[in-house]
Amino acid sequence: MKTIYFLVLVPMVYLAFAVFLAGVIFQLLKVIKRPAFKPTLAIHPKRNPAFLWAILDALLLPTVWRHKRTLWFFLMAFHISFLMVFLGHLELITEMSWLQVIGHEIFMGQGFLGLIMSLALLYFFFRRFASPTKELSVPEDYLLLMLLFLTVVFGSEMDWARRWYDYGEMSVQEYRAYLSSIFMFKPSIAAVSTSGHSFMLVLHVFFANLFLMFFPFSHLMHSIFGFALNKIRRG
Amino acid sequence: MEKALREELISLFRGKLSGTMEMYLETCARCGICTEACHAYASMPLPKYTPAYRAEVVRRIYKKYFKWQGKTFPRIGECKVLDESAIDELKEAAYSCTGCRRCMVYCPFGIDTQQIMSIAKLLLVGAHAEPELLSLLADVSISKGESMDDLKEGFLEGVKSLESEVVEKWRQEAGRTPIPTEVVGADLLYVALAGAHSIIPAAAIFNAAGENWTLSFFEAVNFGAFVGDPSKTKIIMDRIVNEAKRLKVKEVCICECGTAFRVMSQLSGKQPFKVSSITRVHARYIKEGRIKVDKKKLSVPVTYHDPCQIARNAGVIDEPRYILSQLTDNFVEMSPEPKYNWCCGGGGGLVAMGEETLDFRMKSSRVKADQVRNTGAQVLATACENCHTQLSNINDHYKLGMNVQFLSSLIADALIR
Ligand code: SF4
Ligand code: SF4
Repeated sequence: MKTIYFLVLVPMVYLAFAVFLAGVIFQLLKVIKRPAFKPTLAIHPKRNPAFLWAILDALLLPTVWRHKRTLWFFLMAFHISFLMVFLGHLELITEMSWLQVIGHEIFMGQGFLGLIMSLALLYFFFRRFASPTKELSVPEDYLLLMLLFLTVVFGSEMDWARRWYDYGEMSVQEYRAYLSSIFMFKPSIAAVSTSGHSFMLVLHVFFANLFLMFFPFSHLMHSIFGFALNKIRRG
Repeated sequence: MEKALREELISLFRGKLSGTMEMYLETCARCGICTEACHAYASMPLPKYTPAYRAEVVRRIYKKYFKWQGKTFPRIGECKVLDESAIDELKEAAYSCTGCRRCMVYCPFGIDTQQIMSIAKLLLVGAHAEPELLSLLADVSISKGESMDDLKEGFLEGVKSLESEVVEKWRQEAGRTPIPTEVVGADLLYVALAGAHSIIPAAAIFNAAGENWTLSFFEAVNFGAFVGDPSKTKIIMDRIVNEAKRLKVKEVCICECGTAFRVMSQLSGKQPFKVSSITRVHARYIKEGRIKVDKKKLSVPVTYHDPCQIARNAGVIDEPRYILSQLTDNFVEMSPEPKYNWCCGGGGGLVAMGEETLDFRMKSSRVKADQVRNTGAQVLATACENCHTQLSNINDHYKLGMNVQFLSSLIADALIR
């Protein structure tokens, strides 16, 4: 069991990050190296400054707000929670005073961020069963949502256990010991491998690793291309 | 499908992969937000008529041949081998899309389905499975460019026969020809369509404005663009570019044809002349006081259909409204925002294919018919040949009882002498 824990928590994490980074760079280079398409592809009427509107389009999803309001709420809730949880993970690596300008517990959201994300992911998943989104969806779409859901559920479970069930064995200190060791390239899983909840962490990290490795080769590249494409539409 | 043909098609596909196209193909989340944007789906709610489904027909082939996924886990993205059935799917996808780009307004990433469909159309050309009529029309345009001298006499005779009708609309000024041709150093080269309706009102207005103009030998429409063949598109466009350079004109004015205007203004690159749509030119004449129009001519409610390629895709939005504000006090907007206007359902070569597509065009334009009917207008104006034909067909099919008019005809009829 220890070996499996180790494999998932150390070599697989490095592998996942390497694949993620190399994959994203590869995808970006692929786009950059292709010839540019010169004619305009803008939609009219235009509004200036185009880049600012494009950023707003990418961040606030006004077209979704206009045409699919329920989906917009779930999308915004998911993406905002995702951002906050991402910041939370940064704070699990080491103390980051700049993130504590507004003082908060690690993680923010009293455990509700994970809950919101889980519910949003279930919504994204099940809306794919209704036509015509059903006919549009391919296995990749379900798989990505499943991986994300599992990652979120096991990750949140650790947060929920501490907050809602007074499970005190694994705290920020233990996660920090593990994560900072990974980032300092002196991996040690001692702090997180002996608790009754270690398997939660292992499962969380396992699915997160798979997700990271899949990311660059899936439509999740929208998180990067979305800005460029919105700028192209804005002209 | 034979291996050699497949490889040729894959290489054609590769040729279409610009950085932007690559992003369009990588980004779609299959979220379905664009679904209701398409008039075809809104009129006939079948999944195959959703923009993303159409794009996915191309994307599946992309994943198969240009993505790591296609080589390792093809089933994850339902990658598609390029075979006969793929060609059938491409044809259905490409020729049920009018390239209106309304879906692009809905998509949170701004994915351009028309661009993706341009791959489908090119693959069809490569597989000799494109609509024959469109290819034929494109070839006729090209050969006209090649045998210009032989055809010139017939052209000039045809033009001459229209002159009396031009003079009926606007008097002949001393020493000037009603329809000038081959005028070196003219300020404006007018590129019309084959057909009197595209020449007579325009000529009358140019003459009324005292424009130093000349009529192009070529027709504006670009069948190469309809059939999705970039090399033919360019040859057809270059005929006009070369003519404009030869005549040393300052401005090339494209008649009421959306595709022709978009091709000329967006694909011709930097040229010594500017490219204008005729609607812009007319608005300019009225603003500058070069022509005067009578507001009393049009007392019934008038509405205006924004041609997708001229409005949403090229920005000619305020000018037709300005013109109509000068022509009538009874203008009714069709769509609360022009960029959301429904496509007439006739673009992308569908109208040019005539009877062959009539049934689909009528079924897929139910929402357009409702939109037009809801304006309560009696005159339906537009500024695109394709839209005019399609709207006239819709008018008959859905018994709307409207008077479908070109904007330029309305202006010509309202000229104050
Ligand atoms: S471009 Fe127009 S016709 Fe084509 S899929 Fe989009 S909305 Fe439909
Ligand atoms: S809205 Fe955009 S991302 Fe969503 S399915 Fe349509 S094309 Fe794809």
